[in-house]
Amino acid sequence: MLVSWLSTGALAATHTVIIAGLGGEPEYEQRFAAQAQALADAAAKSHGPSQVVLLSAAEARRDAVRGEFEALAQRLSEDDTVVIVLIGHGTFDGEEYRFNLPGPDLTASELGQLFDRLPAREQLIVNATSASGAALEPWIAAAPGQGPPRQDSASGSGMATRDARPGMPRESGADDSASHAQPSGADELEPTWRARRIVIAATKSGGERTATRFAQYWVQAVTTPEADVDKNEIVTAAEAFEYTNRQVAASFKSDNVLATEHGRVAGEGAASQFIIARLGTSGGSGDSVADPQLRALLQQRGAIEHDLDLLKERRAALDEAAYYDALESVLVRLALLQRRIDASSPSSDVDGGGG
Amino acid sequence: MSGIVPTCMSRGAARAWMLVRWVVPVIALTLVALALPARAAPAIDYDPGRSDELRECDQHQYRGRIDPARRCYSQLLEIAEPMVQAESAWALGDLRRANELFRAITQRDERAVRPRVRWARLFLQTHQYAEAAALLREAQALDPDDPLAKLGLARLFTERFEGEARPLIESALEQDGELIEAHLLLARMALEENRQSRAEESLARAARIASRRQWPALEIHTLRAALERARDRRPDRWVERVLAENPHYGAVYEQLAHFEIMQRRYREADTLLRQAVEVQPDLWSAHAELGLNLLRLGQVEEARTHLVRAYSGDPYRPTIVNTLRLLDRMEQFEVASRVVTIGSERVEIRTRLHGSEAAVLGPYILDLAREGVVAFSQRYGFVPREPITIELYPDHDDFAVRVAALPGIGLLGVTFGYVLAMDSPAARSRGEFHWGSTLWHELAHVFTLEATDHHVPRWLSEGISVFEEWRTGPTPGVVVPPEAIAALHDGRLLPVSDLDAGFIRPSYPNQVQVSYVQAGLVCLFIEQRWGVERLVALLRQFARAGKQPTSAAAIEATFEISPQAFDQQFESFVRQRFAGLLAGLDTWQRQYDTALKAVREQRWADAVEPARRATQLYPEHTGPDSPALLLARALDGLNRRQEAIEAMEAYRAAGGWDPDALRQLADWLEQAGRGAQRTALLQAINYADPFDARQHLQLGELLLTEQRARESLREFEALLILNPHDPAPAHFGAARALRALGESEPSRRRLLEALASAPHYKPAQALLLQLIQERTGNE
Repeated sequence: MLVSWLSTGALAATHTVIIAGLGGEPEYEQRFAAQAQALADAAAKSHGPSQVVLLSAAEARRDAVRGEFEALAQRLSEDDTVVIVLIGHGTFDGEEYRFNLPGPDLTASELGQLFDRLPAREQLIVNATSASGAALEPWIAAAPGQGPPRQDSASGSGMATRDARPGMPRESGADDSASHAQPSGADELEPTWRARRIVIAATKSGGERTATRFAQYWVQAVTTPEADVDKNEIVTAAEAFEYTNRQVAASFKSDNVLATEHGRVAGEGAASQFIIARLGTSGGSGDSVADPQLRALLQQRGAIEHDLDLLKERRAALDEAAYYDALESVLVRLALLQRRIDASSPSSDVDGGGG
Repeated sequence: MSGIVPTCMSRGAARAWMLVRWVVPVIALTLVALALPARAAPAIDYDPGRSDELRECDQHQYRGRIDPARRCYSQLLEIAEPMVQAESAWALGDLRRANELFRAITQRDERAVRPRVRWARLFLQTHQYAEAAALLREAQALDPDDPLAKLGLARLFTERFEGEARPLIESALEQDGELIEAHLLLARMALEENRQSRAEESLARAARIASRRQWPALEIHTLRAALERARDRRPDRWVERVLAENPHYGAVYEQLAHFEIMQRRYREADTLLRQAVEVQPDLWSAHAELGLNLLRLGQVEEARTHLVRAYSGDPYRPTIVNTLRLLDRMEQFEVASRVVTIGSERVEIRTRLHGSEAAVLGPYILDLAREGVVAFSQRYGFVPREPITIELYPDHDDFAVRVAALPGIGLLGVTFGYVLAMDSPAARSRGEFHWGSTLWHELAHVFTLEATDHHVPRWLSEGISVFEEWRTGPTPGVVVPPEAIAALHDGRLLPVSDLDAGFIRPSYPNQVQVSYVQAGLVCLFIEQRWGVERLVALLRQFARAGKQPTSAAAIEATFEISPQAFDQQFESFVRQRFAGLLAGLDTWQRQYDTALKAVREQRWADAVEPARRATQLYPEHTGPDSPALLLARALDGLNRRQEAIEAMEAYRAAGGWDPDALRQLADWLEQAGRGAQRTALLQAINYADPFDARQHLQLGELLLTEQRARESLREFEALLILNPHDPAPAHFGAARALRALGESEPSRRRLLEALASAPHYKPAQALLLQLIQERTGNE
């Protein structure tokens, strides 16, 4: 299986920063390091080792982390995508979240400043630490004059999916306006840029302080096809979050203990647009495909998918037999089109897929 | 019910109203104004320190002369000294005033022992055991030798079936041999343990004292009636004497019912409890017990009526409140049934399962229960005469409430006769218990109880259930945990004729568990020494009408040896079976520790031999970190996969069922090209861990490959009910299973559901296009 981490932009590069903080005990040190390494390996496989920064255990000291982010800010362009994953223990004293590192910790404010200096338009921050919910708002909240804070979801339900599908004809809107935004300097972040930031936290608040299980399942979500529910060979941040959240809840239930963490995601519908893992090429965006014929087919596919979503929304209003007949009609169109797409795709690009 | 819930209320509204009502008042702080009838006071108060003026009022009360009793106590309330006032308020049912008076007395005199002991008794009556215990401990701190404080504590322990009661009673009697209550407590405990001679001796002593002091003998006669019942004789003359003395003394029937319940004879208890509330309609404890007993008999609605009645008079009793709350939640349960044919007989099996898991568990339960009913009917020559109801509770607290009235109960399941209740696998951590084995165990009880009209002794019923788990259950294998080995090593196993005491009143930690294993080993010994037919013959000793034999007599009649000889032969059997382990416990521990440490440090080569030796010495150790699992893991670590498979198979044959370990074995079997065995293994894991989505998917696919479409469909259906993150494969699997079964339209719809949730699901797309092609071709 080909697993790659790609952004939605054709020419954009994806940079990944993974930091595994202080474990405190050998068991945690090993676990955090292994999880960080698994994510780094997956990212490196797609983008090459040079696009991945991994700081783990003793390497992840405050100054080293700051240095890596400052260096990254120099390398990134606005079209780039950045994925930041924090693994380890976090704490919250009622006022400030702290990411535990060997030596002095980094606070949510300090980390936020480092993230804000990254010019990349697409940002996904996954904070898998305990108490991480305390840092969610500070990192996502609009700066003064940027309007109201965006909504967030604790379960992934309610996330928009229709507009997320690669291959859909693009409409004018926030995404387009975002593409015209320019950074005015390393210390400032344009409002529209922040609108593209997605923050995922392992816990709902700073009060959930127990060591988390989130990272373990996040690794599964982005390195296997498990999270790809619609089988389009793409794992979005929303799918990965939903998968991880469910697995975390199931693990607590299986142990018959009260759950001590409840993940959250903030970033409006952007999480369902953010492609975090690609399992093949058949789910590729029409925009990102060089072959015009294939691109047209993918765009047609997006239109059929749109029809399917509309039909599903109307299900309650339809007679059961009529619904299934209509469903069959749409799905047959989609399946026939997929055959053409598969036939048009370069054989080297076609992977076994997630099915 | 109609008298309590306004008829204009909807059922839901009525339920909500009732939910609000089930609250337990707390006497110490917030006692509500409550005027219980005079009979709410202790039935007979044998307190030797009770004043003469109170005794005068008591005489009216004990003879059922309620109005004179109330007038008498009311007068004392106005004129007597504070202790007498408190006792009078209590006797009149004004518990709040009694509580305040006792509190005031103890505050005035911080060193007073007697008021504390009596106050504690008031708490005991309202089931506030923690407060009662605290006051009695206070009293003991002030006077460590106070016999009444000891007696109070003993009463508390007795009510909670704790083992410390007897030494306290004996110590109290050493100080004051005239304590009637102490003799009665000893008699009651002896009756519960079926030690009839001891009970008779204690009752005779109590009767002599009562006669000398001219105290009422109601309780003594009551326990004598119970003794008669225990001896399979009619208790009528004692019951008549009680009712002649006090025609409203319902406690005589209630006590008789208590001993019937102890013997699991719930139908007999039902009759007696109905008589109790008939002669004494305000005997709330009898209403409560009648309600609980009706639940054991599966009569839910009538049970609710009596429990509501009991609550109206005694809102303090936790069992009433908890059970009423449970009954409210029972609306979320679903009932299903299946009929099993055995020869010309038909046996109905009903399940009552929580709506959230009924569809997942129901099919497996019904299959396993059917298998059990067929097997046990044949083995024990008894076909159930009523439907068997199986209840599983996903919340352990609900299960605990369901069975709370039964003493000495195991924590996983209980059988009341034709009704059995147990924890659902959701009630515990994954892998904590094997629900299939538990169901098998409980189902065996249905046969041993009903075939003997509930006369089977506890040890034999448990022993046969354990034996059937080991021999014929879903995970066969003789499993003997370390605590049982330790008890054998230390000579703590009980003679078979006394084995019931190990269940009812354990005298050391884990004795209940050890007794289960001992009872199972006794049955295993019988099977190996005389054949299983003789085990059935032993059970039939208790199935005869009329006078029932003791365990000792039944042993003697069945095996034609004395109970002592039986015990000796059993002892030889177990000592021989575990000879290697008993002789080398230290060696085993050393080998095991070495293997465990080496495996944890992934020093596989160092782990193999110690793990192998530990397994050979103690193959019955199949619990967590079993040496067999250590061995398999070490061998696999050394790439000796075939040997690892053999070690794991030996573990399973010995009764090991850890779901993760068996899944590992399933993977190894597949990799070794033994996929056919994998199917059976995964099916077996469902009876330990039925909520694993991936397993249902794997099993569904395997069964489909093996053209077992109906079974395959069940797995995919179960998977869908688990609400998986990714439902498409389950829909797709169900579509293919239905297609194989020739159900084309349901198959089509499932296929479309698969693609609706995963539009790019290529195998499903291919099948859809194939369907269209087939349809077009046929048109």
